[in-house]
Parts: sequence; C-alpha cells; structure tokens
Amino acid sequence: MLDTRKALGILLVAGLGATLTACSTKGDDSGTDTDGTVTITVDCQPVGAQKELLDNWNADVAAFEQANPDITIKSVSVGEQCNNPPDFTARLAGGTMTDVFYGYMTDLQQVLDSGRALDITSAVSASTVPTWDSVDPALKEVFTDSGKLYAVPVKNYSMGLVYNKTLFTRAGLDPANPPTTWPEVRAAAKKIAALGDGIAGYSEYSAGNTGGWHFTSLLYSQGGRVLSEDGKKADFNNPLGRQVLQNLKDMRYADDSMGDRQLLQWGDLLTSAGAGKVGMFIGAPDATQAIVSQFQGKYEDWAMGPLPGQDGPAKGTLGGGEGYFFKKDLSPEQVEAGLKWIAYQKLTPGKGQLDYVRAKPQNYPVGLPQPLLFANGSDAQKQELELRKANANVDTGNFAAFENNPVPIQGEPRNAQAIYAVLDGAMSGVLTDPKANVDTLLGTAQEKVDQLLAAGS
Amino acid sequence: MSSRTLISSTQVKRGRVVYWTLLAVVVTVFTLVFLGPLYWMVTGALKSGQEIAQTPPTLFPQDPRVQNYADAWNHLNLGKLLFNTFYYAAGAVVFQLVLDTAAAYALSKLRPVLGTAILGSMLATLMIPAMVLIVPQYVTVIELPVVHLNLLDSPFAIWLPMVANAFNIFLLKRFFDAIPDELVQAAQVDGASPLRTLASIILPMARPILGVVSIFAVTAVWKDFLWPKLVMPHPDTRTVSVGIYAFAGGTPMNVVIAASVIAAIPTVVIFLIFQRNIMSGLTSGGLKG
Amino acid sequence: MSVLTAAARVHEEVTVHPAGSRRRRRILDDLTGHAFLIGAVLCFALFMWYPMIRGVVMSFQRTRRGETTWVGWDNYTRIVADPSFWTAWQNTFVFTVLALVLGYALPFFVAILLNEFRHATGYLRILVYLPVMLPPASALFLFKYYAYDPSEAGLFNAILTAVHLPTSEWMQSPRMTIPAMVIASTWMNMGSAVLIYLASLQNIPGELYEAAELDGAGVWRRIVHVTIPQTRLILALLAMMQIVATMQLFIEPLILANGAGTQDSAVSVAYLIYQHGFFQNDLNGAAALGVIMLLVLAVFSAYYVRLTTRKDDA
Repeated sequence: MLDTRKALGILLVAGLGATLTACSTKGDDSGTDTDGTVTITVDCQPVGAQKELLDNWNADVAAFEQANPDITIKSVSVGEQCNNPPDFTARLAGGTMTDVFYGYMTDLQQVLDSGRALDITSAVSASTVPTWDSVDPALKEVFTDSGKLYAVPVKNYSMGLVYNKTLFTRAGLDPANPPTTWPEVRAAAKKIAALGDGIAGYSEYSAGNTGGWHFTSLLYSQGGRVLSEDGKKADFNNPLGRQVLQNLKDMRYADDSMGDRQLLQWGDLLTSAGAGKVGMFIGAPDATQAIVSQFQGKYEDWAMGPLPGQDGPAKGTLGGGEGYFFKKDLSPEQVEAGLKWIAYQKLTPGKGQLDYVRAKPQNYPVGLPQPLLFANGSDAQKQELELRKANANVDTGNFAAFENNPVPIQGEPRNAQAIYAVLDGAMSGVLTDPKANVDTLLGTAQEKVDQLLAAGS
Repeated sequence: MSSRTLISSTQVKRGRVVYWTLLAVVVTVFTLVFLGPLYWMVTGALKSGQEIAQTPPTLFPQDPRVQNYADAWNHLNLGKLLFNTFYYAAGAVVFQLVLDTAAAYALSKLRPVLGTAILGSMLATLMIPAMVLIVPQYVTVIELPVVHLNLLDSPFAIWLPMVANAFNIFLLKRFFDAIPDELVQAAQVDGASPLRTLASIILPMARPILGVVSIFAVTAVWKDFLWPKLVMPHPDTRTVSVGIYAFAGGTPMNVVIAASVIAAIPTVVIFLIFQRNIMSGLTSGGLKG
Repeated sequence: MSVLTAAARVHEEVTVHPAGSRRRRRILDDLTGHAFLIGAVLCFALFMWYPMIRGVVMSFQRTRRGETTWVGWDNYTRIVADPSFWTAWQNTFVFTVLALVLGYALPFFVAILLNEFRHATGYLRILVYLPVMLPPASALFLFKYYAYDPSEAGLFNAILTAVHLPTSEWMQSPRMTIPAMVIASTWMNMGSAVLIYLASLQNIPGELYEAAELDGAGVWRRIVHVTIPQTRLILALLAMMQIVATMQLFIEPLILANGAGTQDSAVSVAYLIYQHGFFQNDLNGAAALGVIMLLVLAVFSAYYVRLTTRKDDA
C-alpha cells in the first residue's frame, strides 16, 4: 500500500511535468538543417479569398525555391489585413512574428520598443538585394532609426480621391473631371446621394484606427499636421482640424450625402463600394484592387484623382507603405535568405509582385500608379514603368488625373496607430452625432494624444 | 420529473383555454425571437450585397447565391477552425475532469494539511473575471516562470488555465462532501488505494456532476474569445469565433454570415443528439437550491 | 461489508497502532492528498496566483525597447487621466445593471414558464438554447449586419417601420448603444441560464407547492415563497457569475461597435484594457487598469458575501 501511494504521487507529479515539457514546442530553431538548407518563415501570404494572388505567391515560392535549392520558404497568412494593429502588437509582445515579418512604415517605433527586431544595415546591399541602389532613399529613411536600418520597404503609396465613374455619369457629373476641392466634393456628393437607393456620395471611415488614418490625410490636405514640429504635442486642434471635421459634418448632416452606415472600418467601406453604393472616398490606388479582388466590384467603375484641398489643390497627402522586418534571433544565413526572397518577390521588375505579364490576364490591376518603390530616374524604376505600361490591363487614363497632379507627400506621425485610435473618436463623433461639437471632439482628442505622447517618451 | 410544479395538473385542466392560449403565444413568440434571426441569417447569406442593402429588406432571397456558402467554407478554412475548437474543448474537458476532480477529492476526503488554506486561495479567485488578469496571464503564457516555456499556439495555453477554475472545484467538492466518509474509509480498510477509492466509489456516484463540469468546460471554450485570440495567434491554431472575426474585416458580409451559419451546424447537431443527456445531467447534477 | 463494521475496523486499526506509526501514517496521508492536489494547484499557481502578483508588479513598471524600469504610480495616473476612463466605468456599470434586469431576471421567468408547460417543452428548450450554440462572433455579426443596420434595410428598423414606430440608429446612436449591446448579449447567452434554472426548478419537491396551495397561496405567492427560496443558492450563484461575466463586456463593443463606438459610447473597462494593451502598445498601463478592476471587484464581492451571509443568519 505504501508503495502504491508513493508511486501514485510520483506518477501524478511526473505526469504533470511531462505535460508541461510536451508543450515546449518552440525549441531553439536555428533554421539551418544538417544538410545545409535554410528555412525561413514569412508572413502576409495572401488569403484564400484572393485566389489569384495566392496562386501567384505560391508559384513565386516554388520558383524561388527551385532557383535556391538550399532555401525553404514557409508562408503564413495572418488574415485579410496583414497588419491588424492589435494583433500585430500581440505578435510583437509574444514574439510570434514570422522570421521575416510584415509591418507598416508607422510600426518602426513599436517594433523597436518590443526589442525584437534585427539591425540589418550591414546585411542589405546590392549583392543581397540587386535593385537596392534604385530603391527610393526616402523609403529607406522611414525604416531607419539612429542610422540603423530595420526593414526593407516593399510598397509605397499616397492617397487621392477614389471615385465611381458609373455613379458620376448617372448623377450627371463628368467622370473625366473629378472634384479638386472639398466644396466641389461636397457638391458632387450631394448629387450622387440624390440617386437614392442607399448610395452614399462620399464615404468615410471612423473605426478600427482607419478613421484616424484618414483624418490625418484630410488634415494634410488642409496643410495641417497631426503633431507639432518636435513631435511632443498634438497639433490638430486648430482651424485646419476644425475645417476637416466641419466638411464631414456638413456632408453628413446638412446634406445627408454620406449614407446611414457609419463606424466603418477598412472592409466595411470597401464592401459598400464593391456593391456600388459609394460615390467617392479617399484612398490609395490599391483600394480599387481590394474592391475588385475581395469585395465583388468591377474595375471599369473606378477612377482616381488627386486629393482635394480646401480652396485649390491639396497642400499635402498622406503617404505610407509597408516593409519587411527581421526577427532578432535569426542566423546570418536566414537573414540572407530572407533578403533574397524579398528581393525576388517584391523588388525585381518582372518578378513576383512586379510580374506584370502574369498579372495582365488576371483579375488584378496592372497600370496603377504603384508601388512607387524606386527612385525617379533609377534603372529599376525605368524598367518597372516600361513593363507596367506595356502590360496595363486597366485604363491608365482612369488614374491620369491622380498621376499628373502630384501632391506633396507627408509621412505618418510617430506613434501613428495609437494616435489613430484616438482620432477615430473625433471621426465617429462628427459622423454619428448631429449635435456633435467639433471643438469638443478635437479638444478631447488633443488631450488624449498629448497624454499618450507624454507617456511614450 | 412527473411530480407537480408551480401549477397543479388539476388547475391546468380547469384553465385549459388559458393554458393553450398561453402555450400558443409562447411558442409563436419564441419561434420568432429565437428562430427568426437564424432564418434571417441562413437566407441573408444567400443574398447578394445589393439585395442586403435593399429597403425594405426581402423576406426570401430573390436570386439565391449558394456560392457564398462555398466561398465561406473554402476561404475561411472552416473545417480546420471547427476541428481546432472541438479539439480544445475536448482537451479542456479531460484536463478539468482529471485535475479538478483529483483536487476536489483531496480537499473533500483526504484533507491534507493546509488543505483549507489552499481551498480558500482557490475560492478567492472565484470573483476574478478573466479580463482582469488578461495582461499578466498573457505575459506568463509567453514565458512561463521557472521552466521558461512559451505556450503560445500550443493547446496547453487553453487547457491548463482552464483547470484553474474555482467554480468547478467548488461544485465538485460540494458534491463529494455529500458522499459519506464512511464509504471511503471502508474502502481504504479493504486495502483500496486513494486512487482506487476515487475510481471505484466516488466517480461512479459523481457522474452527474462530472457531466455538469464537462458541459461548462465545453461552453467556456466555445464562448471564449479574447484569450484564444491572444494565445492562438497562428491562423492554423485559431478557434472558430476568432477565425471568423479575423476574416470578417476583409470579406463581404454575406460570406461572413454564411461562415457563421456553417460554424453553428455541428454544435446544433451535437446538442440535438445529446439534448436529453445534457438536461438530465444538469438536473441531477446537484444544481439544486 | 457494511459501512458500520468498516468504520469499526478503522477505529480498531488506529487504536492498535503505536504512536510513531500513526504519525508516519498521517504524513503519508498528507503526501497523498497533496499528490492529488498538485495538478490543480500548479495550474492555479501559474495562471491565477502568479499573474495576480505579476499584474501588480507590472503596473508599477514600464517596458520600453526591451528594457523594464520602475516608474512608481505613473501607469495609474496615466490610466486614470485618460478621458475614456470614467466613461468606461460608467458604461460598464450601466451595462451590468441593464444586463442584470434583462439577462438575469428574464431567464428565470422563462424557465418557470417552460417548467409549467406539458407540451412542446423540448422544442421550446431547444429554441432558447439555439443562440448559445452560435460562435459568439457569429451571433454578433448577425446583429451588427442585419438587426442593427441603421438604414431602413435593417431588420429591426424594417419591423419598426412596418408598425409605424420611429426607427433607431442603434449602435450609431450614443443612447441606444448600451441597450443594443444588452439585447444582443442576452439573446445569445440566456439559453445557458434557462437550462440551469430549469434543472434546479425540477429539483423542487412538489409537496411544497401542494402545501402552499393548501394555505391558499396564489401563483405569485407560490413563486415568492416556494420557488425563489428553493432555488436561492443557484440564484445567488448565477447572479454572481452574471455580474462577473458582464464586467468583462468585451466582444460586444469589439464587434457591434467596431471598438469604442461613437464617442466612446460603447467603450467598456475590459475594452479599455485591450485598447491600452494592444492598440496603444501599453501593456503596463493595461495591467494597472486590471489591478484597479480587481480592487473594485474585491470590494464588491466582499460586500456581496456579507449581504448573502447576513440573509443566512436571518
């Protein structure tokens, strides 16, 4: 009896110990096998809903692995949005990012705060990334902190006014001449909304950080900035910020031209746009791509003009983009493999995302003024532009107004995602409350942002 | 069961008209309130984006798009999500049954030194909602103290914290307390080890309460959202609820709704099959005043 | 072997053994007891007790660039100074009260009603439980997209229009946000409570009703004097669970209101924890808010326990 008890006790303890060790699934994986193959994990693989993009990605992986038999790429698809801010934060906190992980240009500070990113300054050069010298230096700068580079830029965009040509025609507006000032936008929105049938003339975000993101762009168009020069104070509680909200308030309540549904975030607006219920919204050229490939819309409907200003061209527009970071504990071989992959899939004209020959027959646009990765006049830029023009499958005329009227591009503020979350409140206030006081909304947002900045330093 | 309730059978017979009217009203209202939205869901998922935005809404889909259901199944990887959820639920049941039953048995019958203190510290957590500890728990799961393991994306990150459930231990202990000590002692005298006593005397008597604990465990896994969202970040390890949410942002809403319908089917079927057992389990599970 | 003889045998055994052996026996018993306890205790230690301490420690620290420093009360002052802080508490409180009225009392009366029917009980029981079987995210998307659509294409607004009542903007209207969340939450969760109540109702001895009826008690008095006292423990337990559950209001604002809702009208304390921790990259601030919530609940539960025990004495 004594022995059984003792044995039982040992068994219970051992059992629990075993279960605990059994779950140590994450061993220290150097990524290099005995036979010398290097394995890296990469995120932002397209999701199943983007069928052709996913097929392209998988084909790229296969082709890349064939050309580099000693490298294995493991792709991870994290969701419809590769970087949903709270999930991204959780991944950083938990260290569950892939070896080479996707991030927005605005994420650099947060990634550095997590202490999980690798300084890749010495690893990146023309020998690892052949087109590196053509990459726009401004984009490299965005991912640089105290002289150290932390990510490779793979996409760059700036915002303009995206509009539905079909609805313009139906409303008696000229689809070739999009509005160029906010008062014109307001007038056009009123006409489009008059079509009825639940159509919004102009649509705007106010949730999931996208409201703050667009507020920033609208503020840039007025010539304003979200933060003061030194980045320590909020700088939007002024006539410029007020004008932004007042414009929206007028359209939403005085004209009722923004539709009934508010509190929209990324996919909500694009769903309505895909269903033909949105006349205009501000966005980057690739918004049209999402509308078509994910939200059942049609390319023929969409065109783009420059971001409007208050009484003339916009004084600025928001520019942003994406890049790939590298996890801190990677071996030099893994870093090299990761760079090779990014170079192949993202930064080589005629390959991967820039393979316009492959994309031409697909339900995927070629000819959009994107991704603006290479510096003007560089070899890669010329090559990419030539290929893009030769294989365009959308009417590039639809984007001519946008391309021919460049607006000065402004980057996003420091701590962007946290600030955007605060500014969502101001946007949702003005879009859902007819009695909302613009000054109060901006005051509250300012208070919160100041506090956030004070805490962050 | 056949014993009388609030209103006696004779009373019911006397007020037959009232009874049947009330029953008819309740059946109609309940059908509308609980089945109505589900009908809306099943048919809404068959509508096109344009039709959903139509005023007034249509009662029947004009041009049913079965494709929405196919898209939902294919794009969201629902099979995998459902499998994960059931796997986590099954594991949670096993871990809770084994470890919590053992603990409750020890606290109720073996009563080791400090047992009361341990029970007290467990019950002290009864009023702590998961949300309060979510951040430190999350940080703990990322790196367990002493052993330095990272449990993210491992099912143990769901199973083990669920064992720390004071409510279950309380229920089980209360049930075991009602079993006479003499029975246990008699078995010990017969040379049965505590484990044998537990297996051959306690557990057979405790079947109803074990059923209740299992039902609670399954419901808890099924209903939980933020915890699995945090500790199961990889798309291949997500639960149904988290998976649908993750894809909702970039998927047309009729497809999201279609996915929701599909996700509910297995549980509804399981409930319909085990309905009687679940009810009788709850009834005999000591859930009396 | 009868229980009695067994007990006698135990007694005999204990008395014949010498003292030293008895002590050894006692230690052995303790060891076995702890062996049975160890699994659950370890889980409590790792995932409850340790995180409680860790949470308090974290709330006085700040991690930046992978380095952790002590910052005193900084996190607390920051959290409390957040303009959303009091709004979140107010919203959570209103939600909890409304959810108690609707989500707690309603299932009890539904259960009493269902318990009286002699027909269609299985059908009704399944109906009430159906929403519980939807994944919570699915149920909420159903409300978000269909029921609470602010245009007249929405289900609720279509019904309101049909019966000539003014429509509502639901989640977009600051006044309706919380009631709308309570309705959705009650609809999707009440099934469990109804089943538990039903189970406990069926354990009430029929003679009690018989006796009450003989005393001339009507239906309402029978509920008050028989049903409620007989299910008191379950009622008290579920009330507590309900309050703890509603304090965690999270997925409703996240899905129905896309987060904080219009001008923070949907923001809850739990959502604020998430927002600080994962939107603003401030896990330390979120931990501090967690500690505050813990203290509030501790005060509440101490009060609650006193309240229920005093009733016991009476």
